[in-house]
Amino acid sequence: MLISPAGVRAALPHRYPMLLVDRVTEIVPGERLTAYKAVTLNEPWYQRLGPVVDDAELAYPPVLLIESWGQAAGLLAQYDHPEPEALRTNVMVVGGISGAVFHRPVLPGELLEHDVRLVRALTDTMIFEGECRSGGEVVFEVERVTMAYRPAGMLREQPVAH
Amino acid sequence: MSNAVQTVDREQLRDTIAEVVDVDRAAVADHTDLVTDLGVDSLMALEVVVVLEKKYQVKFTEDEMRAVTTLHGAHELLVAKTAGR
Amino acid sequence: MIGRTTPVLEPPVVDRAPEALADRWVAATSTRITGEEIVFAGHYPDFPIFPGVCVVDCAIGGALAAPPPDAAPLTLAAVDSARFVGAVYPGDTLDVTLEWRRREDSWRCQAVASTERGKAASVRLRFREASC
Repeated sequence: MLISPAGVRAALPHRYPMLLVDRVTEIVPGERLTAYKAVTLNEPWYQRLGPVVDDAELAYPPVLLIESWGQAAGLLAQYDHPEPEALRTNVMVVGGISGAVFHRPVLPGELLEHDVRLVRALTDTMIFEGECRSGGEVVFEVERVTMAYRPAGMLREQPVAH
Repeated sequence: MSNAVQTVDREQLRDTIAEVVDVDRAAVADHTDLVTDLGVDSLMALEVVVVLEKKYQVKFTEDEMRAVTTLHGAHELLVAKTAGR
Repeated sequence: MIGRTTPVLEPPVVDRAPEALADRWVAATSTRITGEEIVFAGHYPDFPIFPGVCVVDCAIGGALAAPPPDAAPLTLAAVDSARFVGAVYPGDTLDVTLEWRRREDSWRCQAVASTERGKAASVRLRFREASC
């Protein structure tokens, strides 16, 4: 295993309930990465569902598939220039998402495998593409996510893309 | 380079740019400036060029990328880049 | 609308029910983003900022709360595009304008989410119609 859960937690500023990557199993710096996220019945989002639900209502939120995959992309982005105190100096800001397609619902008990590829890296901007598989089947794919490094301070004073 | 688009068709380029920038193709005239006229931010302008790189199988330098802000500019650069093939 | 597992606690309010306009339906919803939203605890500790994907979720929730009257039950098929231009903080209200258009096999929804400081994001969503 390449980046352990503790390593993921040290690299990303996200915390419960929004730390949505569990480990990284493969990385080719500046090129691609594979990461995992397990979905369970104990996800915080299921807390408010009614006493009786059907599986359709337990579908993992599609936007969190994007976020989980995006955090894996964040790990690839900063693998070359680690920012242990990420929030102090600058933070990865998502500028845009294109072509995020959901093929089927993801349910508790599934292990998500995120594959992220770096399409282009520029001085302060990175563009990624990739997909998410469960049991070998593509459940979600994304054509393009654009991320930029922005000084964290900028986020505090005046709003900027996040 | 078989699947690369050989000739750089201006109208196809207009469609691609409009699609990435999320505007109607009629809004992208030849000399419309993406940033000043369409309010495209720097991130999206770079995204346009990266999509073009992929579609036309060419590689721009970062300076070339940052210089492209109109359809005309993109067309000129692509013609130059694909002329070598 | 069946229960939808979502990371946003506050449900959307329909401020303007769908209205037919030329070739599309227009509607408007809003979601209050209070400090109680659980995402803020981890996004980020001592620096709460509403995640961009949660802004997208407010657009999805708004769309599902104000669908075109003649549409069959809808399922999200894709986020065709999302552009994040302004941050959203605890205490903001997200106003979402919605424009629905029928495509051959799906319903497309163009949403713009704004706070009082201006545009936060523009989102293009694609929904599949349940085949009844």
